[in-house]
Amino acid sequence: MIALGSVSNGVQGAVAAPVRGVGGFFAMTLDTFVAAFTTRFAWREFIDQTWFIARVSMVPAVLLAIPFTTFVVFLLNILLLEIGAADLSGSASAVAVIQIGPIVDVLVVAGAGATAICADLGARTIREELDAMRVMGINPIQALVVPRVAAGALVALMLMAIVTLSGLLSSFVVGVYIQGVTPGAYVSSMTLLVGLGTTIVAMIKALLYGITASLIACYKGTTVGGGPQGVGNAVNETVIYAFVALFAINIVMTAIDIKVNPT
Amino acid sequence: MSAPSPLYARTWRAIRRVGDGWNRLGEQTQFYAKTIGSTGDALVNYRVELLRAIAQMSLGTGALILIGGSVVIVGLLALIGATITGQQGFATLQGVGIEALLGFLGSYLNVRIVAPLQATVALSATIGAGATAQLGAMRINEEIDALEVIGVRSVAYLASSRVLAGVVVVIPLYCVAVLMAFLGIRMVASFESLSSGVYDHYFRTFLNPAELVWSLLIVIMTGTVVMLIHTYYGYNATGGPAGVGEAVGRAVRASLIVAIFVIMLATFAIYGHGGNFHLSGG
Repeated sequence: MIALGSVSNGVQGAVAAPVRGVGGFFAMTLDTFVAAFTTRFAWREFIDQTWFIARVSMVPAVLLAIPFTTFVVFLLNILLLEIGAADLSGSASAVAVIQIGPIVDVLVVAGAGATAICADLGARTIREELDAMRVMGINPIQALVVPRVAAGALVALMLMAIVTLSGLLSSFVVGVYIQGVTPGAYVSSMTLLVGLGTTIVAMIKALLYGITASLIACYKGTTVGGGPQGVGNAVNETVIYAFVALFAINIVMTAIDIKVNPT
Repeated sequence: MSAPSPLYARTWRAIRRVGDGWNRLGEQTQFYAKTIGSTGDALVNYRVELLRAIAQMSLGTGALILIGGSVVIVGLLALIGATITGQQGFATLQGVGIEALLGFLGSYLNVRIVAPLQATVALSATIGAGATAQLGAMRINEEIDALEVIGVRSVAYLASSRVLAGVVVVIPLYCVAVLMAFLGIRMVASFESLSSGVYDHYFRTFLNPAELVWSLLIVIMTGTVVMLIHTYYGYNATGGPAGVGEAVGRAVRASLIVAIFVIMLATFAIYGHGGNFHLSGG
């Protein structure tokens, strides 16, 4: 009887823990959106956090975008040279960059921005600073989470511009200087397949990435526990969940993009 | 009472910063050389720890175990990546009226880009970051110093065994990634009501088994680099609980950048200017 009870408790724990985690995440998300429109916005924290997230993710964004676009465009150009359509290299590069840009943005926002937010908030939680804020009557959601989510969204949007620009420049260098595409043909075919609509969808993708990744990082950071191993695990889980969530958003947005902007 | 600032203080500070960066690079290289050099030691003397690391990494630990470990994450990321590629590839091919060639994209882009990339990203996020968190916590709790005191060679015991285990584990993970990537584009084909016979025909025609082996080799290379970087940041974590979290973040950033560079250089070196296929005939 006792053994049976403990087994069912164990099963309950194993099933309940992830469900409780998801529930807690959605509860915090709701709190954040309500607080964003009902409480005073923490401008100073927002500016500080924007600069902080931009600082940790700007260099990784450029360093990831350049090699990523270079090798994808290199492989695509081999394909185009093979079928004798090297003049279309520009449009292929534009398609590649507008699709790779969001993926690089996923890697940077989840791998650099979210980890930094989670490590910072996790350290504050471990030092019981959040409890101290609650004692003083300051709502951590209003003071810490809302400005971080807003900053994450803004930085993800701006990173998208940097990633697209460096991607286009490096694909131009690869196509024109290494694989011998005519520069004029490259530039003139660039807007053949990618228009304003696709670019706007890419920007919306970036915005959604920033919001989602910051929310995951804030949730994991504020619920951290258990000393050094706990903070490390929280950052680890942030990376995994953010990657999966952001790639899932990408798949849906790409499907919408294809239906809204037919080529 | 403080001493007056010396001549050209800012210049010296800038120079010192460059020197510090240079020294850090040297320390990292030294650590990597030592870790790789100690793999034989780990293989001979610390076989139990090696097996334990392999078991932990393949099945996952902590919260990961609830969602199926790193195998599920790798499969999921590869499936999603291939589906995105398939969607966009189908739309682009349809624009030129050659959507039948989706099978070609399924064999070309999956093997060369999607599978190695998503396997590397998933390895860094799950196994790599987990190793950093674990080693960092051990460093903060002074467990690594304790190991040294009782005469265990900590680099071989902790770092080399994990790098070796990561390389062993990445091989089945890569196989999962390739299979799921193939499945992803195949799913797009049936979803877009492309005839499955047409898809399979072009897929089989252009699938080059030798390229799969090269692609696996690239993933083994990136896996080694990712595990080396993650163990370095974990082994050298400082600054209390907060420092561990920061070390995990830094390790993910650094390993993603270096791994993408490795993939790019390996792509240039292996595939070169030729495509290894004959699309236009002749």
